[in-house]
Amino acid sequence: MLIVEICMGTCCHLMGAQDLLDVLDALPADQRRLIEFKGVTCFKNCGKGPSVKINGNFLANATPELLFEVLQTNLQ
Amino acid sequence: MTLHAEVNIAQLCKTGEELCGDNVQVTRTADSLIVVVSDGLGSGVKANILATLTTKIASSMLARGASLDDVVETIAQTLPVCRERKIAYSTLQILRIDHFGNATLVEFDSPRTLLSRAGHVMPFPAQTKTVGGKTVLAGHFELQEDDWVVLVSDGVIHAGIGGLLPLGLGWDGLAARLAEDVANATDTSDICKSLLSCCEGYYLGKPGDDTTVVAVKVRRPRRLNLMMGPPVASEHDADVVRRFLAAPGQKVVSGGTTATLVSRVIGKPLKVSLEYHDPNVPPIAYLDGIDLVTEGVLTLNAAVDRLRAIPELRRSTRKDGASLVARLLMDVDHIHIWAGGAVNPAHQNPLLPSDMNIKLQVLGRLRTQLEALGKIVQIEWV
Repeated sequence: MLIVEICMGTCCHLMGAQDLLDVLDALPADQRRLIEFKGVTCFKNCGKGPSVKINGNFLANATPELLFEVLQTNLQ
Repeated sequence: MTLHAEVNIAQLCKTGEELCGDNVQVTRTADSLIVVVSDGLGSGVKANILATLTTKIASSMLARGASLDDVVETIAQTLPVCRERKIAYSTLQILRIDHFGNATLVEFDSPRTLLSRAGHVMPFPAQTKTVGGKTVLAGHFELQEDDWVVLVSDGVIHAGIGGLLPLGLGWDGLAARLAEDVANATDTSDICKSLLSCCEGYYLGKPGDDTTVVAVKVRRPRRLNLMMGPPVASEHDADVVRRFLAAPGQKVVSGGTTATLVSRVIGKPLKVSLEYHDPNVPPIAYLDGIDLVTEGVLTLNAAVDRLRAIPELRRSTRKDGASLVARLLMDVDHIHIWAGGAVNPAHQNPLLPSDMNIKLQVLGRLRTQLEALGKIVQIEWV
């Protein structure tokens, strides 16, 4: 199981955290089942948002494309 | 026990007039509510000017601490004289209620103000006295929780003349109607709507006079506590959160860092939703014991916009954080804002203005809007 935490704080929201949720919809159903998405208030890394943590590994300046790639690598 | 006086106003203009010749001013001072109603001589622009002058003079003087006698005397001496009728004239009703329910009423030439307690309707107790050469009615009364006071202009008493009732509704007719209405009403807007639609019906949709209803209900204040931002000194975090939780009323926490802090102090998990109901408002979160948890400045900024369009807010079923917090704020009387003075590292991005400015601006806008809606706002810096 992959735990993906997405920051929902003010700065990450302004930097496009909402777009990262679109990655959810873009995933095939069998992959979606292997991932647990969680919201987080702040990672204290506001200057480098949007921030995501994947199984504890920090991903700064996340874009939907970057997140999708990292998820694919982790799922393999 | 402190009490809150809720006020609502409803008016009809005389047929063919665009301006109402009755005017109402509601002022809240630090210790009381002041309602001034005036019916200007005639109708239309002239009546409106007379009535507005009367209410503005009276409410400004009273808000600055003038006595009721001084107010009546000043108005009697300063109103402009009508060129045709050679008289200066408008009616005057002043109702002042303090936070303990002590009510003072002064009436000059207006229909008797109604008082309703436990289903019984009676005239507000008052005696005649002479002030500045005018005979006025003045009285004091100690109001209790769930008492109603209803002020009306003569358009209500005369409702039906030229329509369904040849002699008009009359004071007794109005009192009987009010007794029925208070039994079913939950708030002052119910009474205003019901009495006004009754008058409009008797006038057959063509009011023969300007018609005004002001309903006041005395009840326990509804309170809400809004915490935004962590305390300036982190060693006070736990103390402040405990005081916040112990305060009477609903609890709203605004801001991710603040919510995390509250969650840590109370030892309950914070669950952040990933659901966007509005692309401009970040999702809300859930925390046991807190009525609502939202993101900070963006949500509150959007909430101020929602509060500027109350009818739309009442109709909408939107579930974004800003609408949820605006709906809670709309329905309460006293709002205690616990403003944290800590500098938010999240906003230290050089592209953003300083954090304190953002927070202060949002806080200022929120306070102004809430006060415009008649709410009592207390800001405590923690």
